[in-house]
Amino acid sequence: MNKVSLLKNKLLILSLSLFLFGWYSYSQAQDEKNLPFPITLFKLKNGLQVILSEDSSLPLVSVVVAYNVGSMYEEPGKTGLAYLLENLMFQGSENVSRMQHYSIIHNAGGELNAATSADKTIFFQTVPSNQLARVLWLESDRMMSLEINDLNVQQVKDILIEEIHHRKATNPYLESYYRFDQFIYPDFFYSHPVIGNESDLINITVEDVKKFYSTFYKPNNAVLSIAGNINKKKAEEEIRKYFETIPEGQNFPPVTSPKLPERKPIIRTHKDPSVPSPGFHLGYRMASPSTDDFYPLRIIEYILLHGKTSRLYNRLIKRYRTASHLSGSIEIRKNLARFKIFVVCGNTTMMERSKRAIISEINMLKMNLISEKELQKSKNLFKMDYINQYATSGDKARFLAESFLSKKSLDHLANELKKYLAVTRGDIIGIMRKYFTHESITLNIIK
Amino acid sequence: MKKIRSQLKNALPLFLLIFLYWNPLLFSQERFRKSPPNPEPFTELRLPEINYKTFPNNGLTLAIIQRENLPIISLKAIIFSGESSSPENLPGIATLTANMISRGVSHLTSSRIEEEIESIGGRFFTSIHPDHSVFTFTFLEEYLDRALSLLSRMFLQPTFLSHEIENVKRSMQYGIIQNKTDPEFLAKRQLFRLLFRDHPYYKGTLNEDLIRYLNQKDLISYFRNYYRPNNALIVLTGNLNITATERLVSRYFYSWRKKELLNSPLPPPNPFTEQKVCLIDLPGAKDATIYLGNVVYPVTSQDIFPLIALNQVLGGTPKSRLFMNLRESKGYAYYAFSNVGSFKSCSVFFVNARVTPEVTYSSINEILKEIEGITKNKIPIPEIEQAKSYLIGNLSLQIETFENLSSKASEFNILNMEDELWKKYYENIMLIDSERVLETAGKYPLLTPVIVIVGDSSIILNNIREFGEVELFNKKGVSQGILHLNKGEKK
Repeated sequence: MNKVSLLKNKLLILSLSLFLFGWYSYSQAQDEKNLPFPITLFKLKNGLQVILSEDSSLPLVSVVVAYNVGSMYEEPGKTGLAYLLENLMFQGSENVSRMQHYSIIHNAGGELNAATSADKTIFFQTVPSNQLARVLWLESDRMMSLEINDLNVQQVKDILIEEIHHRKATNPYLESYYRFDQFIYPDFFYSHPVIGNESDLINITVEDVKKFYSTFYKPNNAVLSIAGNINKKKAEEEIRKYFETIPEGQNFPPVTSPKLPERKPIIRTHKDPSVPSPGFHLGYRMASPSTDDFYPLRIIEYILLHGKTSRLYNRLIKRYRTASHLSGSIEIRKNLARFKIFVVCGNTTMMERSKRAIISEINMLKMNLISEKELQKSKNLFKMDYINQYATSGDKARFLAESFLSKKSLDHLANELKKYLAVTRGDIIGIMRKYFTHESITLNIIK
Repeated sequence: MKKIRSQLKNALPLFLLIFLYWNPLLFSQERFRKSPPNPEPFTELRLPEINYKTFPNNGLTLAIIQRENLPIISLKAIIFSGESSSPENLPGIATLTANMISRGVSHLTSSRIEEEIESIGGRFFTSIHPDHSVFTFTFLEEYLDRALSLLSRMFLQPTFLSHEIENVKRSMQYGIIQNKTDPEFLAKRQLFRLLFRDHPYYKGTLNEDLIRYLNQKDLISYFRNYYRPNNALIVLTGNLNITATERLVSRYFYSWRKKELLNSPLPPPNPFTEQKVCLIDLPGAKDATIYLGNVVYPVTSQDIFPLIALNQVLGGTPKSRLFMNLRESKGYAYYAFSNVGSFKSCSVFFVNARVTPEVTYSSINEILKEIEGITKNKIPIPEIEQAKSYLIGNLSLQIETFENLSSKASEFNILNMEDELWKKYYENIMLIDSERVLETAGKYPLLTPVIVIVGDSSIILNNIREFGEVELFNKKGVSQGILHLNKGEKK
């Protein structure tokens, strides 16, 4: 056998093995059938997790790339870095010019956006389904080779500093939100604002941005979620073509573990002459979102705060009119959850009354069983909001990506809604007593 | 040893090949990354069929759109009368009536209605327009029966209690007062007030003082005249069985009695034939907010699509001419867009922008130049094709949610343009070309608009002297007189 034929044989074996590898990895695709919509999961060899959800009701496709990084991965003195990078991702990459990403999506009639939170950064676009390959080309290019230079970093910094000024000018309570986060979260990593501090932003260097990008914007630190009118097999081929050769990342710095909360109430008052009316932030430190306790906690959020007939809206806004504004929810930052309420009142007397009314409603929920009717109403409102999380292809792709990043598995989605709807009156009283304790309360009064 | 070395030598090309296969990036970029791939052939959107039924006993029309992918139902109830049908001396009565619909029915107080809505996972809200009033109700699909029962009681057995009327009036007044710090609201309201100055549509731009004159008797009279099944449309979108749903709607609305209607077609308002500049003083405002526009009429079914394309090219999105010029090129504006507002008796073409006060005149000048350009010169083919591509691709996004789908269907029905806009949208967009856009643009007085500026007059007046004559208005929209500014004499 001469060398050429030997080489031919070896090539044959190689190509056969590559074919088998390709076939094998395709066969690893896992279909989840118990969800409210079908999904297929597979992972590329560089660690990129892919989620596909086929829905041919409209000729649209949504592509979401979510990175497991947010403001809590920033070091002290470098706040705003994650958000800066989110903005920089639209400024061009090796093969995509500055406005090209936007132009391609827009010219097709599509929409795009991005969001950064404490623990994730998400990029999403919805386009006519014939544009899927183009979006994959765009997303893979910026995952692989983002353009980071003095000019575009400075441009983005200028935009963000203007945004900080604008937010402060239009929301007099913004500083109070930031201050409250410092009290209710255990340390710097969890508590600092996503948009960053102006002085930190000014001092961020191009090298800082490059380091952050090259550390976190890697396929094995991301999830690619696609929902809409797709042919699954063809979509997988395109995904492999554009993403599989992107080098994986290594040594992702872990999130700094949160300090254990102190078992004592935190009560602070600060005077802020810029606020038009007094108000307060009230919060409770909660269970981790991954525990079973989280299901009743979410329903409690609806009992207290959602809808015009919720207990607190009814009492503070409608019946006694002690407050002019009421908002709140459970907020999740990685493995921590916080129950947060914000109230604005006409004067300090009304503020005292509102505060007492909230504590009184919470105590009532701890002592008395809620009626079946009220519980069912809260569950139905929750159910509607839960379903609306996947009402459009963009919502669905984002819902899947976020669920994956927060829980690292999508198995739980098959039964998640059922678990919320199975919460009993007894669960509510038990969870109220467990988490809404005097020791876990955090109160920040603004005068 | 020699044998091993020879085997290694033989295997070298293979290792090299494997190495190259797995590490292509070490040497050069894959070729397919250099440029964007071509899109696949476009999949045309087929808009879902709307199943209509008009009930013979009372003339109520029901439209059902079947969608299966979510266990929720979107309901829109439309009364084909809006603020323009309020009596001349009672502007606001249509708005008050619509807002009162969910505020009490026999044996059910307004709080109990809210309880009932939220008990079925529902959200209910009302919006009032010059030609019609819309009641939007979204709920979980298993509660269709309860939702229809509640809605029918709102229309058939409202109580209109005095204390509830007072509550609603207070909240309407509060809403308008709150809006008076919003320059967008002030500018848009003033533009429409001036454009509709001698037309029934003017009543839709009410201010808070007029609300106090509204009373229960007038409200009941308005309700009896206009809230009739032969003046109503119910649109339902969801996973619905058509026959069963029709039967259910018939059961709940059967006893709703029809009446001869007072609606008569309105003539169009007269467009402005000369440019007019107005300023609303908003002390402390950091920016200048601009609304400028004019009435366009008649917008026939042949004109509507070229007009949509013209708007798209001029100011439909951040890639359009106005945004690219005023923000990206000149750096004058935070944003600059154009719009076509459609009413039954006319349309309004308008531009809105927020700019730095020091360049207010220059910005308006640039906006007018862009309008002139698009009305006098043919749009280049690539630009018009790009606009068409956007309009075709974007339609699917506009109807993704059940609620948006119901809204679109209602909107097209209200404008009597369902055939053109719903059934033949794709074909009609494809037929647009530069000649048709130019021809359509030439029909309308786009270059003699009303220009409304909202901002701090102490800064702005100095920067709009070139206009010469400016009418000053207060925040209620009342004229404070005409200012004669000396051109070129900046202080």
